[in-house]
Amino acid sequence: MKLIRMLVNTNLQIAVICASVLCVCSCTKDYAEINTDRNSVATIGPAELPFLFSRAQKEATPSIWNYQIAQNLFADQYAQYIANSATYFPSDRLVIRMDWVGAAFNPIYTDVVPQLQSIFEAADPASPEYALANVLWVLVFHRVTDYWGPIPYFQAGVPGKSVPYDPQDQIYADFFTRLAAAVSVLKANLTAKPYGDWDLMYKGDVTKWLKFANTLRLRLALRISKVDPAKAKTEAEAAVADGTLAESPGDDALVLRSETGQDYNGLSVMSDWNEFRMSATMESVLKGYQDPRMPVYFLPAANGQYEGHRNGLTSIQQTEAINLPANNSHVGARWASPAFGGNASYLSTSQNVMATAEAYFLRAEGALLGWNMGGTAQSLYESGITQSMKQWGITDAATINAYINSTKTPIAPNDYLNSPAVTDIPVKWAATLDDQLEQVALQKWLAMYPDGMEAWADYRRSHVLKLYPVANSDNPDITNTTTQWIRRIPFLESEKLNNGPAVEAAVGLLGGPDKITTPLWWDKN
Amino acid sequence: MLNPKTLLVSFSLLCGAIAFAQDRTISGKVVSTKENVGVAGVSITVKGTNTGTSTGPDGAFSLTAPAGRVTLQLSSVGYVTKEHVVEASQNNIVIDMVEGSQELGEVVVTALGIQRQAKSLVYATQSVKPSELTEIRDPNNVLNGLQGKVANALITQGSGGPGSGARIVLRGNKSLQQSNNALIVVDGVPLNNSTGGTLTSDFGGIQGSDGVSSINPDDIESVNVLRGASAAALYGSQAGNGVIVITTKKGVKDRLHVTINSGFNSETAIALPDVQNQYGQGTGGQITTAGDSWGAKMTGQSYTNFLGNQANYSPQSDNIKDFFRTGLSTNNSIGISGGTDKAQTYLAYHYDFVQGIIPTNDLERHTINARITNQISKRFSTDAKVTYINQKIENRPRTGEENAPTIDIYNIARSIPTSDAEQAETVDNLGVPTPTAFPSTLSSIYQNPYWLLDRTHINEQRDRVIGFLSAKFNITDWLSISGRANLDKTMDNGQNEVSKGTILWAASGGNYSISDVANTEKWFDVMLDGNNKITNDLKINYRAGAIYQDRKYDATFSSANGLNITNKFSMNFAKTPNVSSEFTQVQVQSVFGQLNLSWKDAIYLDASLRNDWDSRLADPHTYSYPSIGLAAVVSDLISLPSFMSYLKGSINYAEVGNGGQAKLLTTTYNYSQGAGSGFLQRSATLPIPGLKPEIVKSIEGSIEARFLDSRVGFMATYYKSNSRNQLLTIALPVATGYSNQYINAGNIQNQGFELVASAFPVRNTDFTWEVALNFSTNTNKIVELSPDVKTAALGGGFGRSATPVVTEGGSYGDLWALQWATDDKGQHLVTAAGLPAITSSQAKIGNFNPKSLWGLTNTVNYKNFSLRLLIDGRAGGTIVSGTEMNLAFSGIPEVTQNFREGGWNLGGVDANGAPVSTAINAEQFWKIASGKRYGVAEFFAYDATCFRVRELAIGYNIPLKSSNILKYVTGVKLSFVGRNLGFLYRGDSRLDIPGLGTRKMWFDPDMSLGNSNWQGVEYGTLPPTRSLGINLRITF
Repeated sequence: MKLIRMLVNTNLQIAVICASVLCVCSCTKDYAEINTDRNSVATIGPAELPFLFSRAQKEATPSIWNYQIAQNLFADQYAQYIANSATYFPSDRLVIRMDWVGAAFNPIYTDVVPQLQSIFEAADPASPEYALANVLWVLVFHRVTDYWGPIPYFQAGVPGKSVPYDPQDQIYADFFTRLAAAVSVLKANLTAKPYGDWDLMYKGDVTKWLKFANTLRLRLALRISKVDPAKAKTEAEAAVADGTLAESPGDDALVLRSETGQDYNGLSVMSDWNEFRMSATMESVLKGYQDPRMPVYFLPAANGQYEGHRNGLTSIQQTEAINLPANNSHVGARWASPAFGGNASYLSTSQNVMATAEAYFLRAEGALLGWNMGGTAQSLYESGITQSMKQWGITDAATINAYINSTKTPIAPNDYLNSPAVTDIPVKWAATLDDQLEQVALQKWLAMYPDGMEAWADYRRSHVLKLYPVANSDNPDITNTTTQWIRRIPFLESEKLNNGPAVEAAVGLLGGPDKITTPLWWDKN
Repeated sequence: MLNPKTLLVSFSLLCGAIAFAQDRTISGKVVSTKENVGVAGVSITVKGTNTGTSTGPDGAFSLTAPAGRVTLQLSSVGYVTKEHVVEASQNNIVIDMVEGSQELGEVVVTALGIQRQAKSLVYATQSVKPSELTEIRDPNNVLNGLQGKVANALITQGSGGPGSGARIVLRGNKSLQQSNNALIVVDGVPLNNSTGGTLTSDFGGIQGSDGVSSINPDDIESVNVLRGASAAALYGSQAGNGVIVITTKKGVKDRLHVTINSGFNSETAIALPDVQNQYGQGTGGQITTAGDSWGAKMTGQSYTNFLGNQANYSPQSDNIKDFFRTGLSTNNSIGISGGTDKAQTYLAYHYDFVQGIIPTNDLERHTINARITNQISKRFSTDAKVTYINQKIENRPRTGEENAPTIDIYNIARSIPTSDAEQAETVDNLGVPTPTAFPSTLSSIYQNPYWLLDRTHINEQRDRVIGFLSAKFNITDWLSISGRANLDKTMDNGQNEVSKGTILWAASGGNYSISDVANTEKWFDVMLDGNNKITNDLKINYRAGAIYQDRKYDATFSSANGLNITNKFSMNFAKTPNVSSEFTQVQVQSVFGQLNLSWKDAIYLDASLRNDWDSRLADPHTYSYPSIGLAAVVSDLISLPSFMSYLKGSINYAEVGNGGQAKLLTTTYNYSQGAGSGFLQRSATLPIPGLKPEIVKSIEGSIEARFLDSRVGFMATYYKSNSRNQLLTIALPVATGYSNQYINAGNIQNQGFELVASAFPVRNTDFTWEVALNFSTNTNKIVELSPDVKTAALGGGFGRSATPVVTEGGSYGDLWALQWATDDKGQHLVTAAGLPAITSSQAKIGNFNPKSLWGLTNTVNYKNFSLRLLIDGRAGGTIVSGTEMNLAFSGIPEVTQNFREGGWNLGGVDANGAPVSTAINAEQFWKIASGKRYGVAEFFAYDATCFRVRELAIGYNIPLKSSNILKYVTGVKLSFVGRNLGFLYRGDSRLDIPGLGTRKMWFDPDMSLGNSNWQGVEYGTLPPTRSLGINLRITF
C-alpha cells in the first residue's frame, strides 16, 4: 500500500516538474513589459512636444554645469568680461582644455538636436511651433560654428558611424534660409501661442519671437559683413524692415531658470565657486565712465571699491594679495549668493540670452556701413545705451543723458601689472568713423554682458574693441599676446577619436591648420 | 535461509523504523589533526545502515549502533572523508580527521549547493576555512578577509570605511562595462551583492556598501571558491566572473551546543603621506594667508596666524596623524544549536560594532539567524532559514578628491597646529554654526576637515531579510526531487545632511537628501537528482531542473535643494523638493541538466547544459550554454611509485552567458524637473534592439599531485578565457544626436596559471606545521574591441590624474596620463625657463593589474597553541597617486622640500636637443608637474608591487579539567590577532626625476577609490589600517 502511494506521489512529483518546466518555457510574455522603464516616456505625441521644446531651450543657453566649461573658462575670459582668479585653471593663459570645451559642443548635439528633431518630425513646417524650433536651431548652431568653424551641421542628428563637417559659409547660408522661413511663418501667425507657458523665453508670444528672429538675423548679417558684404546688407535690411528687438526690458530675451530640479542659472552656480573676478578691462572702462551699470554687473571687493584682475596671470601671481579673490570684484548681486552680498534668489535668476540694446548697436554699425537701418548711427547708438540702462534698471533719464554725453574715458585700473587705461574713447558720440565704430563696439560689449560667447565672436569679427594683451600665454601657438589672439577652438579630441575621418576632412575646410590662430571664414582681420 | 536479524533490519528499514534489537551507544569526539580541536558538523553514519548523527560545535557526538564491530563513515566539508573501525568493546572514542584544501576525499560544495567529492571534480576549486575569517576579521568587509588566501583573487578594499564595498576579481577582468566582481552564492542561491553607489572618477564621492559586507562570518560553515566558468556554469549568467560559494551553519542533533565568540579590535591608520616639515604656510618662500606650504622655513618665528592670533611658526609634524582616531571594534556572537533526529535548530545572534578611523564614523550591525532542518519522514526533509540584518552606518566619509575628510586633512598647511584647525566654527546668536575661515589650498574645493566631521552627515540604514525554504523528497533510493524558494530583500535608507556654509555640497540654509532603495531578489528552483550504478565500475549521476529568478530594484531619491529653516534636516523644510524614481526588473527563467559519469571511481566525465530566457533580451529572449569536463585520478588507476600518494588530472571547457543590461532595447524620453513644467529629453544612448548575450568561453586544465603520504601536494592550473559579444558602450560622434550606443563586440582574453601548494614539514599529534602557498599570474589581452572603436575608457572616462582604458591590442586597465615630454633620443624636454615640458595628450604609462599574486600561510599547532601567519603580495602593475599629485602643488609632500631655494637644473634639453642650463626651484617645478587638480600623472606613478604581513593569529586552547566548575564548557580558545602588520616591500616611483631620484611608495595599492572598473588611481582614499585584537571563543 505504502509503496503504491509512494509511486503515485512520485508520478505526481514528476508531473509537477514537467509542468513547471513547461511553464518556464511559456512564461516570457510579460518580458517586454518587465523590460520597459516605467519612469520614462516611450513614445512622443503632441502632448510631449512642449516639454521637448523647453528642454531644448534650457540647453540652448549653456545650462548649469556646462556654463563654466563651455563658456566661462573660455569665451568669457577671451572677451575679458571676467578674469580667472583660481590658481588651477590654465585657460585664461590661453591653454585650451579639450575635455572642458567639449561642453560647448556635445550638449548641443545630444540635448538640443534630438528635441528639435522630434519637433521637426512631428510639427507642420507652416506652424509657429516649427518656426520657433528653427529659430532656436540657428541660435545654438551659430554659437557652435563660431567656436570651431566647420562643424557637423547638415547631417546632424543622423545616426551613423561618422557625421561630416560642413563649411561655415554653407552653414551661415542655411541660417539665413531658416530664419527667413521662420520669419514668414511667424508673420502669418502673430496671434498664435506656440508652446504657451512651456516657452521659457516669451511664453509663446509670436510678436516677440519675430523681433528675436530678426535681431538674430541682423547679428549674423553683421558677422559676415567683411566676408560677404552684399549678402550682409540684404539680410540686415530685411531683418530691420521686419522689426528687431525694440523696448527693454519687455523685449529682452531671457530663459527662465528655477531652483526646482536644480535648473539653476549657470553663472550663479559658478559664482559660489569663487574662481573668477571682474576683469581689469571692465574695471578700466566701467570706472572710467563712472558707468551706472557697474554696481549691477559687479560687487565691491573687500575694500569697498570695484577692483579688476588682469587676464592671464600665472598661478604664482594669483597667490599675491592684490590678486586674491577677496580683493577683487565678484559678479553682480543678480548672480551672487547672499554670502557675497548677492540676492537670495540668485540661483533662479533668468539667464540672459539676447539684449534689446544689441539690436540698436547692430543697427548703428549697419548705419555706419551705409545700410538702411531705420535711423542714424548716432541715434541708434544712443538708443542702444538707453535700452541697456533700462535693461539693468537704470531708468532715470537725466542719468542716462549725462552718460550719453559724457566725455570721460577709461582709466588705469590700478592692478597687479599697473596696466594703463585700456582705451581712450569717450561715450559721447565721436567725429570720426573709426572712433564711432569703436564706440559702437565698446558699448555693445558693455551691453551684452555677461554673454561672452557673442562678445568674443564680435571681437574677432570686428577687431575694433580694445582689450588688454593677455598677461601670459602658456599656449605655444601664441607667443606674442599683443599681436596674436585666440581666433577659434581646435577640433575636439573626442571628435578625433569618435568621428576621426570627418575631423580630418574638416581640417581641409578650415583654410589653415587646426590651431587657435587660424581665422574662421568670416574673420578677415 | 534468511537470517532473522537481517530480515528484521530490512523490515525496519522499509518501515522507516529505527529501533534495533541489540543496540549500543558510541560517544566520542572528532578532532582535527591540524588544530587539535573539535570538528563541528561532521556527518557520521554507521556503515551498512542508515543510522547516523552529526558532531556538535565542539566535535562531540553520540550515536546508537549495533553491537559488535562497526565501521563509522565520517565526512565533513573541508575534511578528508574517513572510515573508522570501532571495536565491540569501544564505546568512547576520539577520531581524528585530516583537514585539507586539496585532500583526497574532501567534500566541497559546488554550484546550486550540490555537495561533491573534490576528487570527482573536473575543475579547480579552493576552500577557505571559516576559522580564517572569524579568528582575524577585517571589520570593514568580510570579503577583505579573503585577501591572500585564494589563488588569482585580486581583492581591493573600498575606501569608504566600515561596510564599504570591496572588489574581488577572479582570473582577471572580463567585462568592460559590467561588474567584474565574483558572484557570491549563499546556501545555493546568488546573493544580491549590488553596491549602493560607487566612485567612477577621481572627483570622488561616496563608496556605498555592497551586499556581502552585511554577512556575518560567524555564520559561515564553509567557503569554496569556484574560479573558472566550468565550475560556475550551472549558475548561468551571473557566474562568468567566478563564484564564491558560502554555506552557512545549520543545527546539529543531540544535546544543546552553545558557541560564544567575542572579539575586540583596534584599528589605526597607517601609510599616511610622507610630508615635509621644514616649510610652513605661505607662497614664494614667504609667510602668507594662502593654504599652501610654500612659505618660509619654520624656525618658530612669531607671526599672526589665520585666527588672528600671535603664534609660533613651527612644524606640526602630527597635524595629519592627529585627525585620525584609533577605531575600536567589537564583535560578539552567540550560536545555539541542537535537536533530535527529526528536527534540528540553529539560532544565532551577532552584534558588531565597528568604529572607523575617521572620527564619528561608526557601523553597528545586528544579525539574527534562525534555521530549522526537519526530517519529516524517512523520505521527506525540509530546511528553512531566516536571517534578519539591521545595519546602521553613521557619518560615512566621502572619499576622493573633492572636499572629503582625508584629502582635506592632507592639505593642511604644515605649520597649522591641530588645536587651531579644531576651531572649525563659530556659532551665531541664532545658533547657526559658520565655518571659521580656514587657509585652504583651494578655498572653493577643500575646507577645514573638522567642520566636515561635525557638520556633514552621511548616514545609512539597512534592513535586510534573507530566507529560504527548501524541501527534498527521496522518490526512490536513487532518485530525489528537491525544491527551494529563496528571498533576499534589502532596504537601504540613506540620509545626507549638509550644514549651511559647507563648501560644494550645501545649498542655501543647508541641504538634505534621502534615498530609499529596495532590492528584492526572488529565486525558486526545482531539481530532480538521480544516481544509478550501471555496472560495478560505471556509475551515473544526473540532475535536471528549472530556476525562476526575479530581481527588482526600486529606488526613490529626494533632495531638498536648500532648507527654509537653516540646518533643519527634514524634507518638511525643503526649499524646492525634488523627487526622482528608478525602477528596474530583470527576470530570468532557466532549465538545466547535468550529467556526471564515473568509471571505477577514478575517471569522471561531467557535462552540463543550461538554457536561459532573459527579460533583458529581445524576443525570443533565449540562449543556451554548455560545459564539459574530464578528470582522471591516475593514482587510483595505475600503481605509482610509493612516494606519490595522489595524482589527478582534469580538463574542461565551458561557456557562460550573460543577459546584459535591462531596458536597452528601445528609445526612452526622460523627464526632469525644472523651469516651467519640466523637461523631456530623449536618452543620449542609442538603443540596441538586437541585444545579444555576452558569452565567456573558457578552457582549463589542472594537475593535482601529492607526495609522501600527502605531506606535500600541489595543484597547478592553466586556464584561458575569452569574453565575447561584450556589451560595450561606445562613444558615437555626438553629432548623431546620441553620445553613445551599446554594441555587442569584442574579445577579451585572460589566460594564466595558478599554483596552490601545501606541505607539512612537521605533522605529529602534538605538533603540526603547515605551509600553504598560492601563486597566480594572469595575462589579459584585448584581442578585439569593435571595427569602429579601438579604445574605450573604463568607468567614468577621462581622468584628471590618469585614465584607465582598454585599447585593442593592449590589455584591460592600461593607464593613460600626461607625461614629461621626451625627444627622439628619450631625453627629457624642458622649456627655456628650465621647467619640464609636458606632453599635450594622455598616453600609456602602465597598467593597473598586477602581473602575479602571492599568498603564503604558515600554520603551526603545538599542543594547545596555534599560530597562523599570512604574507601576501602583488607584483607588477602601475598605480598613480592622485593624492601626491594634488599635494605636491601645495608644497606638502616630503619630496617638495628639496630645492626650495632654487638651483635645480633638471638636465633636460630643448626641442633642438641642446641642454638647458636654467635653474628652477621646487615651487616652480611642482606647480607644473602637479597642476593640483589636473596634473601630469607620470610624475606620481608608482610600481604597484607590494608585499606585506597580512595576518597573524596566535591562539591558545585553554585546557579544561573535568572537575572545573565550568564543567559544561567544552572548549575555550583565546587568540591574539593582527592584520596588515607591516609592509615588507613596496615599489618605487616610475620616474627618476633628476636631482630627486625615485621615491618609495608611501600608500597602499590595495585601497581603491571604489569598487567599479575605474581602478589604478589612489586619490584621497582613506588610509589603510593596521588592526590588532583579541578573540575569545567558548563552546558549551
